[in-house]
Amino acid sequence: MTEYVKYVDVTKCDGCRACMVACKNWNDLPAEQTEFLGSVQSHKKTTADTWNVLQYIEHDNAKGNLEYLFRHSSCFHCTDAACEKVCPEHAISYTKYGTVVVDQDKCVGCGYCVNNCPFEIIALKEYKDKNGKEYRKAHKCTMCTDRLDEGLQPACVTTCHTGAMEFGNKTDMLKKAEQRVNEIKSRFPNANIYNPQGVGGTHTVYVLAERPSVYGLPENPKVPTSAVLWKDYAQPIGKMMLGATTMAVVGAYISNKIFNKEGKGHDEDGGGSHE
Amino acid sequence: MSNQKKPVVEVRRFSKAFVLAHAVNAISFLALYITALPMYTDFFNWLYPVLGGPAQARLLHRIFACIFVTPTIIYLIFDAKGFFYWMKELITWKKRDLQFFSEFVKDLFGLKFKHVKQTFFNAGEKVNSILQIICAILIICSGITMWFSQYFPRAVVQWGYFFHNVGFALAIAVVVGHIYLSVIHKNSRPGYSGVVTGKVPAWWAKDHYTEWYEDEVKKGNFPKIPDPKHTKHKGA
Repeated sequence: MTEYVKYVDVTKCDGCRACMVACKNWNDLPAEQTEFLGSVQSHKKTTADTWNVLQYIEHDNAKGNLEYLFRHSSCFHCTDAACEKVCPEHAISYTKYGTVVVDQDKCVGCGYCVNNCPFEIIALKEYKDKNGKEYRKAHKCTMCTDRLDEGLQPACVTTCHTGAMEFGNKTDMLKKAEQRVNEIKSRFPNANIYNPQGVGGTHTVYVLAERPSVYGLPENPKVPTSAVLWKDYAQPIGKMMLGATTMAVVGAYISNKIFNKEGKGHDEDGGGSHE
Repeated sequence: MSNQKKPVVEVRRFSKAFVLAHAVNAISFLALYITALPMYTDFFNWLYPVLGGPAQARLLHRIFACIFVTPTIIYLIFDAKGFFYWMKELITWKKRDLQFFSEFVKDLFGLKFKHVKQTFFNAGEKVNSILQIICAILIICSGITMWFSQYFPRAVVQWGYFFHNVGFALAIAVVVGHIYLSVIHKNSRPGYSGVVTGKVPAWWAKDHYTEWYEDEVKKGNFPKIPDPKHTKHKGA
């Protein structure tokens, strides 16, 4: 199966926010009350109802000039997704396209994914059922997996009018990214491809004009070590330990039945002979 | 004990505060385990509807979490002396404590064994206490970071999940042995009624915690009873 990635060239973005609108529209996400953040940016970060946010960053570049940087930010769809790893209900899974999706029926709203996502993307939404009981579900960008199923491209990509976003097979997109970085090196000496290997590479690959940290992105994101130790070691070993002590007491019970029928446990006969 | 002809002489082993603290600890621990079990393994997913849904399971887990913190406080307020005696026992390790274990294994599997003289807590109970104290600290501290994750750095919350798992997994593994020994294992069964009523048969106390019993006799708290070596307790 060909692997697909979403390619985002932030240097071509003009900050029109059509991707945000297209996302809300296709995924039927409600508008949120927001407050003025000191810039034209609408939301601080992605939320359960806003799966992509356009970042506006005022950056002083190496020459001391103001650089106005834009970035379409949404779920990275990691190859090794921390959210998928820590989900206790197996509600988060990889699709055949390499995208990472949440099964709303299985999600119990524990928030483990929220606290372990290296990019702080996935978020919980509070609901009320018809009896007024509150419950929560985790939400994030699906890379429009439902559109991919129909042979369409993600809504944000389709709507982007500057060609800052493209969706295509991974090798082509990575080649494109490399070419683009070479093209813009003179204008943006710090330009780089953001496809972090700490999470096995991502299915949203960026051409960034500046270091990732300028965009508030982690330079070396990875699945938290604690999550690896927790899920790959503590959990299976813990279950084994419980099995081991249970087997020990079952063995003890049986061996007591065999060797100690009358409860004559020891030389002094002090213990169990009174039942 | 009902088959005994003579009434059994009983002595007080546990203070009321200890009994209460132990019961609160046991009940809240098991309730915490059950309310989180469907998250630990999919095999118990049917517990979600039983508990009234994931959100209500979370609420119950938090209520029992608050109760789980109280035993230490109960014990300290109502029997501080007992608490510090327990602590002192836990840090006192002598040759006899190590000898205890080889005899204990024989006892566990129903083989012939001798009692090694023990103080108020035998070496096995001390190991149980130490492990459960460590586990409780791990569970409580990590639980606070998970519950109030918004007030902690992300790395602390992430490590919280790990330590919560380590804490409860070790605790439940130890609890299985602890419950078996008190409720099912014949030689130590009087300990179970003891931790509920606070009182145990004198002969059993003398047998299992000889040094403690003799000390209490010296202080005049416990009756002198014949050495069980010479008077066989004939049972059913």
